Amino acid sequence: MKNKKSDMLEPLEIAIDSPALNAKFNNVLEVLEKFEPKLPSGIFTPALGGDPAEELPDAPPEPVYNPKQRGNIQGNTIPGFNKDHQHFLFYRIRKVDRAKRWLKWIAPLITSMEEVIAFVRALRSARRRLGVEPPMCSAWVNIAFSQHAIEVLAGRDDAAAFGEESFRQGLAARSTYLGDPTRNSHPGHRNKWVVGGPKNEADIVVIIAADDPGDLVNLVNMIKRRADDATLRLIFEQRGDTLPGRLRGHEHFGFKDGVSQPGVRGKVSAAPGDYITPRYIDHADPRARYFAKPGQLLIWPGQILLGEPRQHTEHLFNPAPGGSNFPAWAALGSYLVCRRLRQDVPAFWKFAIGAAAIVGMPAEKFASMLVGRWPSGAPIMRTPLADNFALAGDEWANNHFIFDDNTLPSMLRPIPGYGGDPFPQAAQDILGAVCPHFAHIRKSNPRDIATDLGKPHDSMLRMILRRGIPFGPPIVGVKKPSTKLIKQERGLMFLCYASTIEDQFELLTRRWANSPIQPNFGGHDPIIGQRDERGARTRFIDFPTAAGPRRIRLKNEWVIPTGGGYFFAPPIHAIAGVLGA
Amino acid sequence: MPITRFDTPASVIDTAVAAFFDDWSDFIESNLSTVAGTGTALGEFVDPSEFDFTITAERPLVWMAFPRQVLVDRRDDRRAAFTFADSDPATRNPQNEYCEWHVARNKAGKISKVTFVTESPEYWERLWNADRAAVVNLYRTLLNNPGITEADLEQPGPGHIYDQFNNFNTTGGIVHLIQGINKLALALGLAQDVHTGTARDNYETIPPGLRTNVDPRVEFDIGALARKPLSLTLREPIGLYITGFDDTGWTKPDGSPVGNYWTIVRGVPGLALRVEYQVPPGEGFVVGDIRIGGRPIEWGGQIAEHVTVAVVGAAGGRGRG
Repeated sequence: MKNKKSDMLEPLEIAIDSPALNAKFNNVLEVLEKFEPKLPSGIFTPALGGDPAEELPDAPPEPVYNPKQRGNIQGNTIPGFNKDHQHFLFYRIRKVDRAKRWLKWIAPLITSMEEVIAFVRALRSARRRLGVEPPMCSAWVNIAFSQHAIEVLAGRDDAAAFGEESFRQGLAARSTYLGDPTRNSHPGHRNKWVVGGPKNEADIVVIIAADDPGDLVNLVNMIKRRADDATLRLIFEQRGDTLPGRLRGHEHFGFKDGVSQPGVRGKVSAAPGDYITPRYIDHADPRARYFAKPGQLLIWPGQILLGEPRQHTEHLFNPAPGGSNFPAWAALGSYLVCRRLRQDVPAFWKFAIGAAAIVGMPAEKFASMLVGRWPSGAPIMRTPLADNFALAGDEWANNHFIFDDNTLPSMLRPIPGYGGDPFPQAAQDILGAVCPHFAHIRKSNPRDIATDLGKPHDSMLRMILRRGIPFGPPIVGVKKPSTKLIKQERGLMFLCYASTIEDQFELLTRRWANSPIQPNFGGHDPIIGQRDERGARTRFIDFPTAAGPRRIRLKNEWVIPTGGGYFFAPPIHAIAGVLGA
Repeated sequence: MPITRFDTPASVIDTAVAAFFDDWSDFIESNLSTVAGTGTALGEFVDPSEFDFTITAERPLVWMAFPRQVLVDRRDDRRAAFTFADSDPATRNPQNEYCEWHVARNKAGKISKVTFVTESPEYWERLWNADRAAVVNLYRTLLNNPGITEADLEQPGPGHIYDQFNNFNTTGGIVHLIQGINKLALALGLAQDVHTGTARDNYETIPPGLRTNVDPRVEFDIGALARKPLSLTLREPIGLYITGFDDTGWTKPDGSPVGNYWTIVRGVPGLALRVEYQVPPGEGFVVGDIRIGGRPIEWGGQIAEHVTVAVVGAAGGRGRG
């Protein structure tokens, strides 16, 4: 056999503290603001659901959520708050009876799926009528509890009835399993966390979200006052805001975030087509059975909500019965993972600039290959050579690609004002030459590729709903940021909902992002991957070059865990009726 | 140049009987069938003993050693899955991912050692037929039991027929795979099973009936390569290998990270055939005292979940024979 591979070269290590890199770093930061998605104009997105033509004949019936159920499901779980301004309050219970009274007070404030869907529909309707972004504002609250909180509020038996062992253990106990630092001296060690470490675990997290910052502050202050009265101890609070101006929706490294989310199956009413997640694929396209819109896979709601029909383990679009390993009152609730991740933006970009120079490509392209998307959010699978802002802004195109085979154009139902996906389709990249095996989006969402757990159908069991928001002042887009600004803390409040923690969030993190060989060989996820082998934290990527893969060692870290927790977001009736009773 | 003789898995040399190596090479070759020259748009599996092969890329196909079927059948009860996977050392029937393990416990019932193997029964049967003394010696060495005899390893009756279900490869230990479908011949068949049908991508591909990690892993990857079309073959030395084990987040009783307690007994790193997990005596504790993500190790399957198995495929183009 003849082998064309040339992976015998010495691994590269990038020193990120050189003066030359500092100068280039400022240039990159400034340029990043220009990578803005260009939203298509003249399109009237229909209000959610309600179009009988969306009904696919012969498809398995999806659960219909009646008003009572919709009023019970917390709105940040499904369909998600997605507000620009959010605040997180982490509390410890001191006096159980006072805490219960506070829960009875806050329960009516908790925003349900019903209210969020109603708001989104009203917003879309107004947008359609007015032709501009309507000035509609709302302020919403959600809440979640640790296993310890459930134990003191509902009793040991109920707390023990949660079959999710990782939830019962808590994030601090699982920290090093997730690749977090084992050395006490490391800034990311759990003992140093601002919340969620072994000695400062939160019992309750309250999520407050608003369109208007003033509304947010008022609501937060009110909740805090009442919590003080209830002797709840505020362990930590964190304000989160989407990045300003043209970087809205981007995370601190400068990349558009949250482009790809699974679509949750289920209906808001029995009316034909009244789906939680709108369906855009034409029925003549076989993918209408498992995609809501191009690239957005449909998952059964039990992957997120306890007790609901789940994804079949062997099938793309058939359901399986929901789980039952939880107290009866917890049905329609969801586990919430919160990770406060500090981002070292200079470390990331200096590494990218230094490594890019060695492999001979622009830093933006190199960094985009680490992520799998360009800063605008355009997938490199569809535009390998340069960013494409129009593609980034096209929600029917910017997530439409697979890895192992050529992506075929989607057949779409008519969308008023939308002329179709005009961009070149993604060519197959089975060997990871375009979007490398280590790229963040390929690691955390392998899409069509087979994995160490078998077929891509299995990967649908791993999907989560992400609800993160940045915190701290940005430096991307800032011309010559001051040293003081650079040193300020910034990062991502990573939140996700799922019906298991171990088989979804933890699996994605430990099994795929943190492993250099799973789901495929090629290195660690250079964005969120954590690795700690007896204190050694070096990761690597096998970067594709014309001469074969070139191993690059990642000695520095740019995502550092600084807090969080494992929580359970109960159905709303249980907040006063069980936990507050 | 085409391969003239197939090597043993991980190039192990277990006997001085030269005929054994010819026999092994013949066995591999007889289980490789070339579908060359069909002129279709699809890739093809290439027998590297018949054709030269230019490798574009190597592609280790990795899968989890813990049986997926056991997990998905007990979706809400991982403890039940671990219990079941360890439950039948006489047949190891649940362990159907081309990797099997044996659990040894101390007098207190705690796990003292877990041994993983990926060696096929076909290899050991052929080695037995060529050199029974070598097999007996290997059993003695691998199981640290000088008392093992030839009679212990053969079926009752005349003819010295090897008994793969002997006590030292079942309840009393482990040397090679015994589970019904964990055969190298079946693995080789799986790797050559290029049947994409009309599927244009993996979503349209009908999954194999088995709910394992390995079968769809290999079938989907090979189908996808063939659609390119890339031809493919298996990288020498052909075999099933333990390619990774991840003990990050595992802790000693004092909460500090575990040391490296893995020993590759047969094979080499990346191409391991037999791996033992055992705490050195000087540490003062045993495997059962270790915690994985805060949970004590009670079953071998908890470790198997962090063991990765692979075959190494090579994708490229077929040259002339």
